[in-house]
Amino acid sequence: MIKRFALRSWNFLASLQVTIVALVLLMALVVLCTLAQTELGTLGAVNAYMRSFLVWRQVRGLPFPLPLFPGGALVGLVLVANLTAALIKRFEFNRRKLGLWIVHAGLILLFAGEFATGAFQVDTRMAIEEGQTVNFLESYRQMELGLSDVTDPAHTEEYGLPDPLLRAGAAIRVPGTPLTIKVKQFYVNAQLAMRAAGDPPSMANMGVGANVKVTEAPPAASDKEVNLTSAFIEPVAGGTSYGTWLVSSGMGAPQSFIHEGRTYVLSMRPRRYYLPYSVTLKKFSHDIYMGTDIPKNFSSLVHLSNPARGEERDVLIYMNQPLRYDGKAFYQASYGKGDTLSILQVVANPGWLLPYISCALITLGLLVHFCITLFNAIRRRQLDGETV
Amino acid sequence: MKLSRLFTWLPGLLALAVVLATALPPGRVRGFDMDKFGRLPVLEGGRIKPLDSVARNALLMIRSKQGVRFEGRELGPDEWLLDVLFRPATADAQPVFVINDPDVLGLMGLKQTANRYFSFSAIVPHIQEIENQARAAQDLESAQRSRFQRAVVNLFERLVLYNQLENSVQLGDSPGLYLELQSIGTPQAAERTKSLAGAARFRILPPLPGQSQDAWQNTGEGLLAASGGAPPHPALVSLALAGAGYKAGQPDAFNQGVAELQGLTANLKPQALRRADSEFLFNRVQPFYLGMVIYVLALLTLFASWLWRRDLLQPAAFSLLAAGALVHTVGLVSRILLQGRPPVTNLYSSAVFVGWAAVILGVILERMYRKGFGTAVAASAGFASLIIAHHLAMEGDTMEMMRAVLDSNFWLATHVVTVTIGYSGTFLAGIIAIAYTLRKHLAPELDPATTRTLVDMTYGIVCFALLFSFVGTVLGGIWADQSWGRFWGWDPKENGALLIVLWNAVILHCRWGDYIREKGLMACAIFGNIITSLSWFGVNMLGIGLHSYGFMDQAFWVLAWFIASQLVLIVLCLLPRRFWAPGTT
Repeated sequence: MIKRFALRSWNFLASLQVTIVALVLLMALVVLCTLAQTELGTLGAVNAYMRSFLVWRQVRGLPFPLPLFPGGALVGLVLVANLTAALIKRFEFNRRKLGLWIVHAGLILLFAGEFATGAFQVDTRMAIEEGQTVNFLESYRQMELGLSDVTDPAHTEEYGLPDPLLRAGAAIRVPGTPLTIKVKQFYVNAQLAMRAAGDPPSMANMGVGANVKVTEAPPAASDKEVNLTSAFIEPVAGGTSYGTWLVSSGMGAPQSFIHEGRTYVLSMRPRRYYLPYSVTLKKFSHDIYMGTDIPKNFSSLVHLSNPARGEERDVLIYMNQPLRYDGKAFYQASYGKGDTLSILQVVANPGWLLPYISCALITLGLLVHFCITLFNAIRRRQLDGETV
Repeated sequence: MKLSRLFTWLPGLLALAVVLATALPPGRVRGFDMDKFGRLPVLEGGRIKPLDSVARNALLMIRSKQGVRFEGRELGPDEWLLDVLFRPATADAQPVFVINDPDVLGLMGLKQTANRYFSFSAIVPHIQEIENQARAAQDLESAQRSRFQRAVVNLFERLVLYNQLENSVQLGDSPGLYLELQSIGTPQAAERTKSLAGAARFRILPPLPGQSQDAWQNTGEGLLAASGGAPPHPALVSLALAGAGYKAGQPDAFNQGVAELQGLTANLKPQALRRADSEFLFNRVQPFYLGMVIYVLALLTLFASWLWRRDLLQPAAFSLLAAGALVHTVGLVSRILLQGRPPVTNLYSSAVFVGWAAVILGVILERMYRKGFGTAVAASAGFASLIIAHHLAMEGDTMEMMRAVLDSNFWLATHVVTVTIGYSGTFLAGIIAIAYTLRKHLAPELDPATTRTLVDMTYGIVCFALLFSFVGTVLGGIWADQSWGRFWGWDPKENGALLIVLWNAVILHCRWGDYIREKGLMACAIFGNIITSLSWFGVNMLGIGLHSYGFMDQAFWVLAWFIASQLVLIVLCLLPRRFWAPGTT
């Protein structure tokens, strides 16, 4: 009984019906995801439809969202399971099907690659001005409370408290310093305005924040909006409070205080990841076609310096030509400040090779299949010729 | 036997002879050598092109046609450009602005009538209001603009283009280039020269010896350089002569000025002149337009063959198709050579290429099966795609320069070409399925062998389309990984390509599992048309993503109608034969 059920399930799992239903579902998801991009932005739509197991929708009148559709991850898993089962069950290792076998194995790898990307890819960026040397990457989405010890003009010591730690009421010791940061209030996104006469007093009593009115705002939904992450914080050291400050990614002016002769600059900035090597921008070029503003090429000539590995070299990063180094790829992504600032997108994706391997496999499989078909056709024709 | 064989090839040969005849230079217009003028090279939009291309593209954008009817005569693009440059008062009176939107007409206090063409002079009184409305709309993203806002922005852009052209050689209200040359150094002249240098649409003065290769100047810049003490650019004097001659109606002076300009350019930039010459010839022959006409003839001949003398007319239709394919191919190759790029660089060229690949496949099918269906399908595919291309040409220069990230001949040649062939295949399968559907309901009797052939063709083409669209999509992923750091980004255009791959895979798996047979396969193939059209054009209408290189407005309704027609065809395909005549099934 159980055996029969298992056999039937196995047959079902390996069946073509499942393939077809999954492919059609995937098509529907692709259409939905594409349409949703106008509203949610690319990342939002992909997370909602493709990288989720179920697509959730808030139905009016119900307090909780309902799963309305299988998500891309689920359909992908089903397809992979179906493919694997079919490979084992139907394409027993026979020479005639060898090509198709390789093609489908390649397809499984392609899905695996997309799963790996969804799970492990980290996108960061590196913004460098001409002549500047940078040894850190910046997160696109996470923020941190930055503390820069600028006492020594030759060398700035950097400390960062990532935003997950910054909850209202938290008191965070900053490792390596005598400081503790008390978080009075934290906003993922906020609107800042100058305080008007009738507004209640600001929570901040130090720095520019005393004159700023902060209103909480919903987190940015689309790719184009940017969160103005803000917080009211109070640095404390050795029992002394240095007052309450407003820090926000929307404010540029530096604010600092001095503790025991050391000057600390406060800022809310994109979360930084420090690298064991540094990159200097020697020259950024933005070429246009003569007499137009159509861009012809963007390129950054950078100097890569990695003392630990004794590497000192110049690299030209340009369109379709990233620098691959240290498991990361550095792409020319954007620019600014009158063509003196270059922004590189930095992608770390441990699965980046998978699609390449899978493509090679699929191409090979198609070739093999083609050759086998051709060979069979020729042989059949020869046989026909002999019988005539 | 031999005679009838000759007869069957005659239509094709005749068509080719007509094409060759269009390459012959036309006579002078009112004694003016328009031909020589149109060949003069200028720098515009980042590339060297003949003035003829500037004129044609501008006229296509402003008027949606390559000519103007004025005072009972058809003006060609070169003559129109000459009027704009040297006789602005005359040009302003010519009805060149096509306005279809009723609200835009209403803004100008006009009712919608049969006359859709308006002169610049007629628009001038409302120009401030148009500008205000357009500026307000330009602050919105194109996807969020209303129909009226899109139309008014479009009109405003055309007015700007017209204004730039009018101020490209001399200011619209200039007394002429001669006087400008003489008044160099006076304070008013400096002011005028500066605005001329800023407004000009194209650069007509070739770089002098010792200047950089790209240092083409417009007349304003040339005059500025002269006011700085340098001797005036020699081309300025010839241009002044030509302009004065044209304005005064003196062909001899005009022709002499143009000949001098040509001689100067031949000395300074011989390659630019050669390039412009080739493009000028390409413009005059209009191979894609002629190809379109020949495809229609092929289609009509084939239809006729089903009624009368099939033995003669079917091969005759094939000879016309072959002639059309040849002209189409020559046009495609000329574009590749002129641009120095692989065949597909923008939406326009993708239409030309999709059609071309479908035609070639159709020709092969016809040689294999010889049933006439290959000809029908190829001719309709060729005609349809060239008509689409014809409409897309109104967006501007079809040989525009490639934006930075797209500037990669390797990827354009591999990814873009492969994906586009995948589009062609999917469309071709869909067109065969449509032919199958129409035949099923219209043909007096069905020969099972032909039905079998149609099904085989469709199946084979779907396999072909799956192969190419899959390989093309994956190559696109690799390109994206090289340039943006991700193999797959779920960008709308990528999703569109993926949909085609998935759909072709669905069709084949259904066929292999025997879930669909003849009718089902055909209906699925027609549905492939919908998916391909959405992926090709629909994603451009979303106006998001990295690939939305051409945002189109009117195209939306065309697409909606196309999809509706395909749905009707799918229903027809699934209905039994002669369902409308009970008792005859």
